Amino acid sequence: MRRLRVPDLGGARALILHRPHATVPALARQLAAIGLSAEAHWPDLPAAALAADFVFFDVDPGHDGQFPWKPGQAPMPMIALIGSETPGRIEWALGMGADAQILKPVGDGGAYSALLIARAGFEARRALGSEIEGLRGRLAERQTVVRAVTILSAGQDDEAAYAELRRLAMGWRVTIEEAAARLVAKGEGLRVRRRPS
Amino acid sequence: MRHVEIGLLFSRSGSYRLLSEACRLGALRAAEEVNADPALGLALVPVERDPAGEADAYAPLCAEVLSGGARHVVGCVTSWSRKEVIPTLERMGGILWYPCPYEGFEASSQVVYAHACPNQHLVPLLRWAFPHFGRRGFLTGSNYIWGWEVNRVARDLIGEAGGEVLAERYLAMGDADVGRMVAEIRATRPDFVLNNLVGASSHAFLTAMADGGGGVPILSCNLTECELPALGAAAEGLIAAGPYFREGAEGPGSSFEAAAHAAVHFLAERLARDPDAPLDALLAGPGGALSIDPATHHATLPVLIARVEGGAFRVQERQAAVAPDPYLARRERLSPRDRLAVAR
Repeated sequence: MRRLRVPDLGGARALILHRPHATVPALARQLAAIGLSAEAHWPDLPAAALAADFVFFDVDPGHDGQFPWKPGQAPMPMIALIGSETPGRIEWALGMGADAQILKPVGDGGAYSALLIARAGFEARRALGSEIEGLRGRLAERQTVVRAVTILSAGQDDEAAYAELRRLAMGWRVTIEEAAARLVAKGEGLRVRRRPS
Repeated sequence: MRHVEIGLLFSRSGSYRLLSEACRLGALRAAEEVNADPALGLALVPVERDPAGEADAYAPLCAEVLSGGARHVVGCVTSWSRKEVIPTLERMGGILWYPCPYEGFEASSQVVYAHACPNQHLVPLLRWAFPHFGRRGFLTGSNYIWGWEVNRVARDLIGEAGGEVLAERYLAMGDADVGRMVAEIRATRPDFVLNNLVGASSHAFLTAMADGGGGVPILSCNLTECELPALGAAAEGLIAAGPYFREGAEGPGSSFEAAAHAAVHFLAERLARDPDAPLDALLAGPGGALSIDPATHHATLPVLIARVEGGAFRVQERQAAVAPDPYLARRERLSPRDRLAVAR
């Protein structure tokens, strides 16, 4: 079982995007008890919301224009406040990037687990995103690796050339793709030097 | 004279009977004192129900008390039972005054927490224990939320301080088969044991440890005077954190009794002024020996670390007033580098 890293919530800032309504004080009470500061905004979030640690947003009348970021690009965990459990509204909340949800009416509980689940989901998503970006970059460099192996294969077979590329990368403490790019950049010189006379 | 019914929901039998009897005693004694005080002009009428240690009996009995006209209930010992009654309190508008230490991570608007949460028991206890004993801990507990969550927090704290958890072992509530746990402790030689077993399991464990535990220090967040008679000589050397320990012949017999006693007095003083006040207004009013944080409904409490010596607790360290932080959101991090000098 993966152990949950409990986030430091003390002093964290939460924004509540909801019209003035009993939901707001009920949620704010829970957040204050946990140790967060909370402020409500309506009808939209100011640009300063980009610095918040969590955003709770009302799904029922919600629309894209309320947020100072594009759908799915919130820079913090987002928690949907759901009244109408209809597919269309849930689809919109997912598109906005909801990491967790609380059903309305908001009562005496739900905020703490939503905060922890949203934070864990947000961080997992972000970690996966950067891993995918790295893998995409490496895929794009396949051609460079092939060229580097070709350069190094003068006088040896491809397997030995690839092993040499790995050794070089380890020695330089860079990825194989990075090592290949360096070799290709000065490839001609190497090719000349390694070619048997 | 205004008569106000007040519910008492304490188990008079079952595995944690000693703790609930101590709470019940504190509540009843406070009610007697209130009723004998003409200045208050208030008569508290206790309405008692005994769930006999059965978790599933709490919610229906709580509903019975509330439907009889009482709005405030003093009761519950285990977190399991407290969580059972909260939906009933919400539905019927009742308030629970909870007089026991618990594992935190809760702030119900229907509950007033009169005893300690982890920043008032576990955190100072481990802070005190690390420089005294070391940071290699063996964690035990009864198989429910109290043991699970206190041990989870302990795991975080030990890890943060650069220590090591040698093992984490649980027994079912009431299970007294402690032989294997004690053998493991003898084999692994931890610097300390954190004991989150409750009731009969705890008594069996502590007795077995006194016989064959090899003198490993044992720490507890909920051991009080009310269990010392059940332990006899096996209690010698045990270390506990709590908001109160009896020093001298005066005063309540344990922190459980003290918390229930203080809660009933606090409540009575406010009910005497306005019996129908909503809880927030009630808590905000002046007077009484308790200080309840309006944001979390938890008490600001002293923190004492004490060791059993000669059949009684002797206080080793004392902090006068520690504000509650039930979600451990404002906790100062432990550092493995600073040699964990005791926080002043």
